[in-house]
Amino acid sequence: MIPPTLVVASTPLIPVVTSVLFWVVAMCLVAGVAVVGPWRLYGVGGNLVPYLRESRREIVALLVVLAVSGIGRPALQSISEVFGLRLTGAIFALEGNFVAWLQGTFQSPQLTLYFSSIYVFGYAFLLIFPFIAYAALPESTMIKRLIVAYTLNYALGLVLYTLVLAYGPRNVMPDAVTSLLYTFNPDFQTLTGQVNVETNVFPSLHTSLSVTVATFAALTHGTYPRWTPVAWWIALSVVVSTMYLGIHWLTDVVFGTALALGCVYLSYQYVDAIEGGEETVEEHPEDDTVEEHPEGESA
Amino acid sequence: MTRRISRRQALAGIGLAVGSAGCAGRARNLAGREGSSQLVLEIRTTPADEDPNGIRVARALAENLTAVGVDARIETMNGTDLHRTVLLNHDFDVYVGQYTEVLPFDPDVLYGLTHSKFTAEAGWQNPFGLTDLDIDELLDDQRDADGSDRPAIVSDLQESVCEKQPFTVVAFPDALAAARTDRFVGWETEPPISASGLISLDYVGEETEDDDEPVTLRLTTTDGRISENWNPLAVEYRRYGTFMSLLYDRLAIADDGTTVPWLAREWERVDSETIEVELWDSTWHDGEPVTAEDVAFTYAFLRDTAMGSTETPVPAPQFRGRGSIVESTTVVDDSTVRLVVGAADEGVAERALQVPILPEHVWADRAETATVGGFEFDIEATEALVTANEDPVGSGPMRFVESTPDERVVFERNPDHFLVRSGPEDDEDAEDGSTTGIDSEGPSLDPYRGKPDFDRLEVSIVGSDVSAVQWVADGYADGTVSNLGPDSVPRIGRENETRLVSAQSAAFYYVGYNARRAPLSNPRFRGVVASLVDKSALVDDAFSGYARPATSPLAMSPEWVPEALEWDDDREKDPVHPFRGEDGSLDVEATREVLREIGYRFDESDRLLAREQ
Repeated sequence: MIPPTLVVASTPLIPVVTSVLFWVVAMCLVAGVAVVGPWRLYGVGGNLVPYLRESRREIVALLVVLAVSGIGRPALQSISEVFGLRLTGAIFALEGNFVAWLQGTFQSPQLTLYFSSIYVFGYAFLLIFPFIAYAALPESTMIKRLIVAYTLNYALGLVLYTLVLAYGPRNVMPDAVTSLLYTFNPDFQTLTGQVNVETNVFPSLHTSLSVTVATFAALTHGTYPRWTPVAWWIALSVVVSTMYLGIHWLTDVVFGTALALGCVYLSYQYVDAIEGGEETVEEHPEDDTVEEHPEGESA
Repeated sequence: MTRRISRRQALAGIGLAVGSAGCAGRARNLAGREGSSQLVLEIRTTPADEDPNGIRVARALAENLTAVGVDARIETMNGTDLHRTVLLNHDFDVYVGQYTEVLPFDPDVLYGLTHSKFTAEAGWQNPFGLTDLDIDELLDDQRDADGSDRPAIVSDLQESVCEKQPFTVVAFPDALAAARTDRFVGWETEPPISASGLISLDYVGEETEDDDEPVTLRLTTTDGRISENWNPLAVEYRRYGTFMSLLYDRLAIADDGTTVPWLAREWERVDSETIEVELWDSTWHDGEPVTAEDVAFTYAFLRDTAMGSTETPVPAPQFRGRGSIVESTTVVDDSTVRLVVGAADEGVAERALQVPILPEHVWADRAETATVGGFEFDIEATEALVTANEDPVGSGPMRFVESTPDERVVFERNPDHFLVRSGPEDDEDAEDGSTTGIDSEGPSLDPYRGKPDFDRLEVSIVGSDVSAVQWVADGYADGTVSNLGPDSVPRIGRENETRLVSAQSAAFYYVGYNARRAPLSNPRFRGVVASLVDKSALVDDAFSGYARPATSPLAMSPEWVPEALEWDDDREKDPVHPFRGEDGSLDVEATREVLREIGYRFDESDRLLAREQ
């Protein structure tokens, strides 16, 4: 007898995506009330559309980068295979058995459960929640910076993935490093396989995007004092999880952190420049962005 | 000991030294000498996700090489990349791989793997670049020897190959699979990674109420290549050739230690040098008839995929060894073809029949030199070698339907195949052959009559062996068709519906050496590297015991293996290049001593020195 569900769903992808969506929405609701507060959260509805319209160029850029990484990945992967730098051996020579030591010293079923959940659910929440938090602010500046920083992370990440061909510790030393995430829940691999290729380990985008969010959280500590410790805790956990789970090298994490800090800096430079430029050049309120400003402030 | 000065510093010093005339000549004599530095060996293999065993072999070897004083580095690359760099470009020092034939094979395999006449060619033919006169002679002799002389020659050949170690056989793995038996049974009769193993599966699921609902066999693999490329000659994309064998019929197939007629309904020796092959009445997937011309074309094409259009032939990178057995072909009529195989032994001649037959009307156009955007890149590549062969036209029992790269690929049953037409074995009509026009003289086809038992075959590509097993456990797939490692095997036992299926496989794991590069060009040095491979320990650790250590590549056909090369389980060591040490720990000093004896040197920090290259 075949259970009827088997005929309907032919891959485990749908159940995994459903569970991720469920947890992320649940965590966003809780954090929305606790961090942003119900009163400011109410403003999100009014701000969202004008903010998105103001940031349309940045959003388009982000979508283009995501589309290139989604559709163009096989082509870039082929380029990488032929022309890319093969750095697996070099990275291993550089840092040796750090990841094996980390996993060997601290491995326990509880930690594996914790870090696996962090890597999948915590990370997704960490990336999505700032959109809600910064959409509740009276200015669109932060959300614009966030979008620009994400775009830069993905774009630079994509360039580095194409230039560098490297495999993670679990693929290189399976005798010393267990692929804990996928042995804990093999279905997660069906999910990550949709968004990543096993040779894309340098740098760790999990690290760079988490550190990006954590850095923004520190910079907006005055506005959201409760968010900073939460973001830092999750970001730190994500960073450790990439290594604990055997997915990334320490080297990937170090470069991911550097990438994050660079992207945050550039996003500030960029947004300050265009906002400054708009204020000085576009004095006549012809542009939508300028028109929307008063509305945004009143929210 | 005086401090060594690097060559660059020495050259800089010459400028000062020319001041005194007598010193200039001395400085040139010294600085002009090439220095030595630590030997660097790169070991290439596939990552754990793609194959859980190879990387473990590579890691253990690297560890022992490092202990001896070699700078050993591991570089992981996917299967396509590994085959491209190793088999096509010969750009490697050492690699760990798996041989491609799952079912036991004839000793003539060694002809393709080690004959020096293939060193300049790209592909599975002599990727090691071995050039050895004695081996060449033995390879030629075993081909032509008659049945009574051949075993002795094959024994000598194996001893010679094992002594010279162009590659080190590590172990013959068990072909492991996770399988569900609620829909299909018969997994254990043959390795499910072989085409005949898949074809012989029996459907035991419910009869579908609705005729439109096809019976689908669902498999998972970690090898995404079958979703990208369907070219039976594209050596970068092929592993065991399982799915290619479902798409492309061969004249004969290996089955249970013998060779059975397949697309050939029968063959006979018409004279001492010629075999005459009679074909089934069969059609290509596009409806064209399969003719003797196609067979003749295939053998010519394997020899030269450019079909004479280039100055030098461009041989196929796969099936080259066995293709070379056939010296020439003559088409007698539409369904009869004669193959001149010279004095080849019966076993050798039968091996020649095991190549995929290609349709001339599709492949003849692919003899032109490959171009990208109108530019010729490499005169040694024809279109036939670089095409992905989208929409493959074969004559096999399955035909291609659709594919999503790195996700899944779908095949469907070919209703016109001779297996289908011949009906199930209990079908009276088919037995006497009167209604179908197919005689039942070849009882060997019996297990396959009326097969396959499924209308569709869906192969899903998953991330790792653990994922593959979980898909089966959760009912998303019926079985796995890629290698399982130590992390996934115990998982099978924990799942109720899932069984571990194990069959012996002839596809041995080995360490290949590039004999074109010093010091691997030295057979004595290769012998020392071979002795660093602790086969018994690897079988226990890397293969969790699901493998047999071996010395000879023919160990799965024990009738050919001389006693001196048999693996002794009590001794637990290789008889030719035994591991120096006990219980997995290497006797480093003893190994260094052997290296010194054969002429290698170490520096003060015990690093093995090699000439700078």
